[in-house]
Amino acid sequence: MAKVAITVNGAEPSNVFPPFILGSSAVASGDELTIFFCPGGAPAMVKGEIEKMEVKGLPNLLELYEGVQNLGGKVYVCELALEAKDLKKEDLRDGIEIIGATTFMNEIKDATITFSF
Amino acid sequence: METKTLDTLGLKCPQPILKVATLVPQMNPGDILEVLADCESFPKDIKAWAEKTGKTLLFCNTDADGKHTAQIQF
Repeated sequence: MAKVAITVNGAEPSNVFPPFILGSSAVASGDELTIFFCPGGAPAMVKGEIEKMEVKGLPNLLELYEGVQNLGGKVYVCELALEAKDLKKEDLRDGIEIIGATTFMNEIKDATITFSF
Repeated sequence: METKTLDTLGLKCPQPILKVATLVPQMNPGDILEVLADCESFPKDIKAWAEKTGKTLLFCNTDADGKHTAQIQF
């Protein structure tokens, strides 16, 4: 099985849908998945934000997010986002962990598929 | 052996596959899951999913209205 690493550095639907569409497909078929939100993408992981993202023709983002979480995908927000985007840990969705770049790079050192959005 | 049905009509890629995956823990070896879908990419996606996860795709048929019916044996 593949080990998939995806970084997200924008909080628009065009940045946030692809990681969860591709990521949920990956975990659904047994791949390991790590999604890392850089500061530019972190505001999308504030509670209530993905519920607002509805795009004609695209699947329900919340269901994809929950699918990723339920099937063991990991979703991280970069610790730099807290100060950079004036966020508090408790502002972020349940199930999200805050980690630093070194931890992320160590975790994905043997990734076989990578994407950036 | 048990046969379960999963209706994903109206759901878009990759939600039908995601719903199949979330049912995996409830399935026992030999059980059959019948999936109804009308998402365009479903026939190829369910074939890819079955190959990757080692399940047996018994068939995937498409009717005149574009509705797909697939059976997967666990």
